Amino acid sequence: MKNNITLFITIIKRDWLEMIRYSFNMVSGIVTLYLLFLFIFLGYRAVGAQTANFGNNLDSIVVGFMLWNFSTFACSSLTWNLFEEARIGTLEQLYMTSLGFDKLCMFRIVGDFFLNFIFIVPVLVLMMATTGRWLHIDILSLTPLFIFTLASAYGIGFICGGLGLVFKQIQSFFQIVQFVLLGFIAAPVNKIPVLKILPLSLGTNLIKEVMVNKLSITELPIIDLILLALNGIFYFGIGFIVFKICEAIAKKRGLLGHY
Amino acid sequence: MDNIAIKVNGLTKIYTQSNKPPVVAVDKISFAIEKGKIVGLLGPNGAGKTTTIKCICGLVIPTEGHIFMEEIDINRNLRFGMSKISAVLEGNRNVYWRLTPCENLAFFAGLQGISYRSVKPYTNKLIELFKLQDKRNTQARYLSRGMQQKLAVACAFVKQTDILLLDEPTVGLDVESSYELRELIKNMAKESGKTVLISSHDMGVVESICDCVIIINKGKIVTDDSISNLFKLFSTSSYRFEVLDKLSTLQKEQIQSQFDLAKIVEKDSQTIIDTELKTHDELYNLIDILKSNGSKIESITRKEPDFEEIFLKIVKNEK
Repeated sequence: MKNNITLFITIIKRDWLEMIRYSFNMVSGIVTLYLLFLFIFLGYRAVGAQTANFGNNLDSIVVGFMLWNFSTFACSSLTWNLFEEARIGTLEQLYMTSLGFDKLCMFRIVGDFFLNFIFIVPVLVLMMATTGRWLHIDILSLTPLFIFTLASAYGIGFICGGLGLVFKQIQSFFQIVQFVLLGFIAAPVNKIPVLKILPLSLGTNLIKEVMVNKLSITELPIIDLILLALNGIFYFGIGFIVFKICEAIAKKRGLLGHY
Repeated sequence: MDNIAIKVNGLTKIYTQSNKPPVVAVDKISFAIEKGKIVGLLGPNGAGKTTTIKCICGLVIPTEGHIFMEEIDINRNLRFGMSKISAVLEGNRNVYWRLTPCENLAFFAGLQGISYRSVKPYTNKLIELFKLQDKRNTQARYLSRGMQQKLAVACAFVKQTDILLLDEPTVGLDVESSYELRELIKNMAKESGKTVLISSHDMGVVESICDCVIIINKGKIVTDDSISNLFKLFSTSSYRFEVLDKLSTLQKEQIQSQFDLAKIVEKDSQTIIDTELKTHDELYNLIDILKSNGSKIESITRKEPDFEEIFLKIVKNEK
């Protein structure tokens, strides 16, 4: 147990130090995201300001944009980290931890989840300040919803990471995945309930219910909450299995250290 | 078996790709390394050294064969294997360039579940031994290549494992840095009683720090012996004669015809003959040829081949 805590702290500390050392990258990332949102907001205001649901739709755009970025980070962090570690030659070192690479990956995901918050929260505050629409932040309700929603994004991240281990240059594929994620987030689950089985879709809808319509988690349909939990576990599990298959192929072909 | 740190048994690795013939990188190799020994793994490019090391590290899945550590097959219990092994795989490409030496050491200790607090005295010692004191808080990207490679080796030591695998640890270093690093590896390994398997193209490194050497070529082991035995084996028949005069044409013809591998080099008024003499009779025959024209022999020395020559002879004979 003590060893695992040490490994967890080690991973978090390294990620934090690297984030600080690449501070220009972090700040420019926040600015770019905000500018992108600003364009979307100004565009929407120009064409939709007169509509009856302008305010609510704007709230949905803020939540959707935040979740899209969150899920893109969740999805890309594993892929990008594996590629970067292979490039600088440390991936094989990580595979040689006596505590197991799988555990290291899981710890990294948990760390990443929190570090992404540090990245996203300032952007969210800026978005809310710009639109003048302050969303309802109910931490207790949002935490489990975020965990299970993003679990499916990490599942997709595992698949992309696994493909990256085998095929290496998957940037073009990943760009497509980013737009697919956008499609999942924008899926109209209220009109077409079967879309709830897609990754991110149901979670996005439930998070909107909390942040926009100010519902608490206890007011959400229990069946949707169960479905969200199963959805998150299912996609995370599938992603992990695909990753392990790809990892075995990479080890068989001697590709782990390649980039 | 108690004294064996690593036992490799029938290790085979065949890389297959669609539309291409399979490549046999390692072909049924078997060897054992005693605890506390420093063993060199030599071979020309593409011989299978890196594949062998990566199989031992669990980074490449072998096609056949087993690797045992303390009688446990590491492919069945990889985490046990990894608790015994640390490795430097590609020179300076093993550390985080945005982290300082201290942060790198703390990270690699943490990978084994060793807390920085408990390992701090040892990291301080490593920083001192590897002469990184002045750079302890400098990001690794600002260090010279030699320092980065020293840091990579220090990061392998900080894991405090019993076995250290080093794949070309001195590649790309200048003579001074290479010498410094090999002395460090030798002293640290001897002091801590670690078992070391080192692959290198630098014969100086292998000759100066290894107890034994395994030479592989085309995926097969061609020699597995101690360095001293190899020197004994190859130093028995090479002689150099220094003659004060130039030789006559007849003498040269006689030498060339009787001694196939003889090399005659004339320098000013001196002649140097390098040859291999398999029997004492051959030695006397050569002296007779020189005596026949009154040539004055200044010296006869048994030439000690350097390790590079031994390596080339072994590999060429194999070819």
